[in-house]
Amino acid sequence: MRILLIEDDHVLGEAVRDQLLADSHSTDWVQRLDHAGEALKVGAFELVLLDLMLPDGQGVPFLRALRARGDVTPVIILTALDQVSDRIAGLNAGADDYMVKPFDLSELSARIGSVARRYAGNPNPLVEVGALQIDLAARTIRSDGRPVLLTAREWALFEAFVQAPGRVFSKSQLEEHLYSFDANIESNTIEVHVSRLRKKLGRAVIETERGLGYRLASA
Amino acid sequence: MRRPRSLQLRLALTVGLAVSVMWLGSVAYTTQKLRVELDGVYDSALRDSARRLLRLVGAGPERRPPQSGKNDGARVVAETADVDRFAFVILGSEGDVILQSEGADPAQFPAFERRGFGQTEEHALFFDSAPRGEERLTIVVAEPLSRREAQTREIAIRLSLPLLLVIPPSLVVIFLVVGRSLAPMRQLRRDLEARSSRNLAPLGDRDLPSELTPIVGSIDGLLARLAAAFEAERSFAANAAHELRTPVAGAIAQAQRLQVETGDPKAASRAQEIETTLKRLNGLSEKLLQMARAEGAQLRTGTETDLRPILEMIVGDFERLDVEGRLHLTLAEAPILSDLDPDAFGILLRNLIENALKHGTTGAPIRIGLVEPAVLTVSSAGPVIPQADLDRLTARFARAGGARAGTGLGLAIVRTIAERADAVLELRSPAPGRAEGIEVRVALPARNRAG
Repeated sequence: MRILLIEDDHVLGEAVRDQLLADSHSTDWVQRLDHAGEALKVGAFELVLLDLMLPDGQGVPFLRALRARGDVTPVIILTALDQVSDRIAGLNAGADDYMVKPFDLSELSARIGSVARRYAGNPNPLVEVGALQIDLAARTIRSDGRPVLLTAREWALFEAFVQAPGRVFSKSQLEEHLYSFDANIESNTIEVHVSRLRKKLGRAVIETERGLGYRLASA
Repeated sequence: MRRPRSLQLRLALTVGLAVSVMWLGSVAYTTQKLRVELDGVYDSALRDSARRLLRLVGAGPERRPPQSGKNDGARVVAETADVDRFAFVILGSEGDVILQSEGADPAQFPAFERRGFGQTEEHALFFDSAPRGEERLTIVVAEPLSRREAQTREIAIRLSLPLLLVIPPSLVVIFLVVGRSLAPMRQLRRDLEARSSRNLAPLGDRDLPSELTPIVGSIDGLLARLAAAFEAERSFAANAAHELRTPVAGAIAQAQRLQVETGDPKAASRAQEIETTLKRLNGLSEKLLQMARAEGAQLRTGTETDLRPILEMIVGDFERLDVEGRLHLTLAEAPILSDLDPDAFGILLRNLIENALKHGTTGAPIRIGLVEPAVLTVSSAGPVIPQADLDRLTARFARAGGARAGTGLGLAIVRTIAERADAVLELRSPAPGRAEGIEVRVALPARNRAG
């Protein structure tokens, strides 16, 4: 999943970014709201982590403006403001979740997963595709009961497919999911990863729509 | 006598009293004046009567002979209308009674000295004399003073009567007019009463009499300063929270990353220790911030909110942590409206649940209730706490170091919020309906159900 992290504190931002990367999310980290605005214009993010007190402004008005533009990207607020009224203001502005600093990184991972699943329309983290049992929360896959291990990049791609069954992803859309792993994505990176996924999970799992891209097999 | 507190009553009484005194004074003056005038009138009537009587008996300048005998004269006298007020006696030169009024006793009349007016204690007198033939007749006419006094009294009463009728209604009118003039003041008072003590909005421009404008101005200035102070406190708390929490959050997150990333178990366990210490530090700074808020912030907002969603939100926070479904919730069906600051309610509830988790029997359920009108209860299992210890816990400055170390700050925060928000905090052990445990009950400021 491609995530935009807006956090001005360097120490915290770094740890959160590393956690997200370890969870196989591709992550863009900005430290200012104006940079965040630019990033959102350019990139297609599936989730935004938003700090509320930033050097160039407050997160709540930023979020309100984002929602006013019709942007429905899920947003989780990460903030030091722990009061009930702050939280209500954040949620009313259109946040999907609200985490008070300091938080456990594992808790953050869990909340990101839960918000993403809610947006995918299926809050249940357990998904079955053919012979595969996928636990999106635990990030485990079993094929006929036998565990399958995916690399972070492979997981990042596969998760995108699982969360939008039936959707056809273009090559460039898939590249977005890998964006933060490699600054320079080779022209055949997607093909390479798709072929590795097919090898591990079965040939029929990912279908090729010629000229359009790839999608998860419907059954 | 204590002066009445009401300005309206005070003004009406003073003005009414002054007006009444002036009116009554003018009546008294008029009566006095009239009395002098009347005395003149009475006196000349007395004199005229004397002369007429003398003429009746044939004395006087006209020298009219008596038309008939004594008795006829007496009859005529008796029939003369204006004469029956008087007593008189007409004496001849030898002191013989020529004519006297009915029932008059010549001995009681003072002797004639000279013509003119005289007075005894009870009568106004007029002496006169006139020749009749060879004789010189003298007359003494007496008019009872009581008559005059009665007349004067009657005049005074007649003058006063309309006043007595007019004064009460005019007092009422004065009272009403004063009341009307004070209407803007009463309106101001009503507005001040109606607004809750937490409403810091200015009173504003309200077309008041010039006497009241500076007062309203001062109140508005005071309200503005108060609101600014609360706002400063609030933004300080927010900034302090941000400044304290963000670096701690960064350090904790780094420590957590380190535990995951390092392959060295010793380093991982050190990182774990750092994380634990940082969390303890964070917990402490959080408590201090909460205490500062409890002591300094405005705890009643003046606008009512439903406390149930806040309770659900906070219980949700705890449920996300590892509490194994220990929290059992009893919520009222209808909204629980209170103007307690939602943040203060959050802090209060969080501390009560933390205490229950920390001090209650491990794994035992914690019952949280929020019921009409606005009563929050948090009860947990555990040994019965003696009354003396409960008292110590609720006493104002009993902090950590009591019988159960650690309860101090959390409960002190709860207590401070309760006191400052006019909530009633009670600790009961054993919990009502149970043999053990403790129940903390907070009767929060509820909406006035009458209003």
